[in-house]
Amino acid sequence: MASRSKLSGIQRQVLALYRGFLRTARLKSPEERHRIESVVSAEFRENARNIDRKNFVYIEYLLRRGKKQLEQLKDPDITGLSTLEINKVYKPLNLK
Amino acid sequence: MAMAAARRALLSHLRVPVLARPAAAAGSVPAARLLSSATEEGSKGSFLDKGEVADRIVSVVKNFQKVEPSKVTPNAHFQKDLGLDSLDTVEIVMAFEEEFGFEIPDNEAEKIDSIKTAVDFVASHPQAK
Repeated sequence: MASRSKLSGIQRQVLALYRGFLRTARLKSPEERHRIESVVSAEFRENARNIDRKNFVYIEYLLRRGKKQLEQLKDPDITGLSTLEINKVYKPLNLK
Repeated sequence: MAMAAARRALLSHLRVPVLARPAAAAGSVPAARLLSSATEEGSKGSFLDKGEVADRIVSVVKNFQKVEPSKVTPNAHFQKDLGLDSLDTVEIVMAFEEEFGFEIPDNEAEKIDSIKTAVDFVASHPQAK
């Protein structure tokens, strides 16, 4: 995902979403924060490695799903980590 | 139309119930602290010494897990010289936020890609503490 030119619009959205998750994780307990950061980092990096950057339809789908997950995570009554982990298990592999 | 059907099937397959649990009281403390420090520093409106800022920035970067400390020079570019990717850069800019106690908006965070741009930004920010 390293950029050699100015960030594309969709890349900017991905980074903003990543930043949003890390910000929200900071508001949780230290243990939960660490777990959220690990899960989120692993998933973003896995997607960065495996998804063709020109597969805009799928990337935009992932962005929409990620934004919903982030909104859920912001609710202090919800431990979003379970949602993140479950979604990761169900996520289809190599969908391009 | 086939794609729409596939999309619907995929989404229903991915739908997961949300589990609700009681919030930990401690969870709200970091936010309060962040807001409080922003308010306090805002009233002062002072700027940090650029040399001090540079030292602290270099220290944060050297402590980043994926960075080889010997490569961290005042002119180092995060991606070109330190081998970080754009996700790493997001993390390191957020580490600067915690070091200096203020939040960097997304549009400003995007521009920070090296030791120099980080130092320039923080040293010119009145809320940095």
